[in-house]
Amino acid sequence: MFNIDQYAYSNRLTQVHPGEKIAFALATLLIALVAPQPALPAIIVALMAGAAIGAAGIPARFYLQLFLIPFSFLIAGVAMIALTITNQPLAGLKGLTLLGWTLGVTPASLHLAGKIFFKSLGAVSCLYFLSLTTPMVDIMTVLKKLRVPALLVDLISLTYRFIFVLMATVNDIYTAQAARLGYASLRTSYHSLGQLVANLFIKTHRRSQELFTALTARGYEEELQVLDVPKPFSWPFLFLAAGLDLVLLSLMFIFRRWTLWPPF
Amino acid sequence: MAALLEAEAVSFTYPDGTRALQKVTLSIPEGKKIAVLGPNGAGKSTLFLHFNGILRPREGRIYFAGARISYSHNALQQLRQQVGIVFQDPDSMLFAASVRQEISFGPLNLGLSKEEALARVEAAMAATGINDLRDKPTHFLSYGQKKRVAIASVLAMEPRVIIFDEPTAYLDPRSTREVMALLETISRKGTTIILSTHDVDIAYSWADYIYVLAAGQVIGAGTPAEIFSDAPLLEAADLARPWLLDVYEDLKNKGWLPLEAPVPKSRDELLALIPYRCRSQLAI
Ligand SMILES: Nc1ncnc2c1ncn2[C@@H]1O[C@H](COP(=O)(O)OP(=O)(O)OP(=O)(O)O)[C@@H](O)[C@H]1O
Ligand SMILES: [Mg+2]
Repeated sequence: MFNIDQYAYSNRLTQVHPGEKIAFALATLLIALVAPQPALPAIIVALMAGAAIGAAGIPARFYLQLFLIPFSFLIAGVAMIALTITNQPLAGLKGLTLLGWTLGVTPASLHLAGKIFFKSLGAVSCLYFLSLTTPMVDIMTVLKKLRVPALLVDLISLTYRFIFVLMATVNDIYTAQAARLGYASLRTSYHSLGQLVANLFIKTHRRSQELFTALTARGYEEELQVLDVPKPFSWPFLFLAAGLDLVLLSLMFIFRRWTLWPPF
Repeated sequence: MAALLEAEAVSFTYPDGTRALQKVTLSIPEGKKIAVLGPNGAGKSTLFLHFNGILRPREGRIYFAGARISYSHNALQQLRQQVGIVFQDPDSMLFAASVRQEISFGPLNLGLSKEEALARVEAAMAATGINDLRDKPTHFLSYGQKKRVAIASVLAMEPRVIIFDEPTAYLDPRSTREVMALLETISRKGTTIILSTHDVDIAYSWADYIYVLAAGQVIGAGTPAEIFSDAPLLEAADLARPWLLDVYEDLKNKGWLPLEAPVPKSRDELLALIPYRCRSQLAI
């Protein structure tokens, strides 16, 4: 989380207008989701990895580590979809049979699992591109421009800030406890962790009150008004992004005609 | 001297029963530098929250520019434009995703246009020396940097009074000097400054007038010279004496300084007072 945020502020695409990055990420995301063939999201994963690592300069190692997070969830989830347990004969069913029940895979379930797998990875890669290249400030600016209700934007902005306050508080409490051997044994660890959680709530609540007081002192009424950060449109990025998405779209239609597997 | 802010017999009790202020009466003259001293828990922060209407006294009155504070919504907004507070903990002030946005919050609440707000933000960043932090997110700043951003965010509102709650706590010596120099600059422009501190040396050299708070009561008031020559008062408020006065008196007692030597306000003044012992010896 900390690292993602740090890269968002310091990558090579920070100066690109956030609207362009958001449009690119969302358009590509849409293609990944609607494309009936698994090949397209796979291409998108590669494309977005190229954009994040090549264009934005995110270290490849870090990028791959990020992907491990959804990967592990995905593998588990997709395995459940691919596997079928049945006592009926199914077309192309292969697997272990015990007492008339078969645990196995069918081409159809494999296909479905593959589709979901690639679609999810494709979608994740689009969102990673956005969160790795676009600071929260910029995203909020665009949300405001799009006339998202101020209340919602403020809520997002405060949530964002408080994630860091919360993490800093956890860190402080944990360090303070560990320094006094709070995590020396399993028993004390449970005890310390319980206290940490309880304390965290109290402290965070107090913090939010303090913040409210301080905001009030600066004339807060009902909207957190701040100056937007003006960023120029960069036409090269926009053209490149639009071009790439067009290519993807055309691929989608070409593949559709050629496709061997009918979409389910 | 017209009093800009006044507290008259103000008492305040927190909901949990802590009596934080008891019959506090004091007055802040316009354009002056006022220090509020007192041990931890004396009620300094609580008093400050009364000055811009965040807390409302149980008993007593607060006056701003001669008029009693009204607690209607509009009156409070007006008051908060004039009375700025830089809070003790900068983390409790910062909410925005970037430094520039943080500082723009106050000016925009004043109803300024984008251009005016931007000009204020730039000026405040220049005054506090944080120009190069403008696009940084506030959560990646060091404590001292956060403190500067907090100061800039109030400065940009250009209030008539700025209250600094322990502006130099946790700062390194250089930042402390810079913050105090900044306060001096702000004060020269005519802004009234109230500051709480535990640093008696700062209070002694900097303040025009000092109030001493202990256990929610004003137990002393006077010029720095008066306050710090009142031994029983210092005892009661757990205050040390500024080293400057200690050295000055010791030098006087031991005959190094003439008896009529004026009390020095700063280190340089003290050094200037100390005479050469013998010129010819120095020449060797
Ligand atoms: N929100 C609160 N609820 C209950 N009691 C409080 C609250 N805030 C402060 N107090 C109590 O009020 C008293 C005065 O606190 P205050 O923060 O005003 O002191 P202070 O002079 O600013 O101290 P410090 O030098 O430590 O900042 C203390 O006894 C404190 O425990
Ligand atoms: Mg305090």
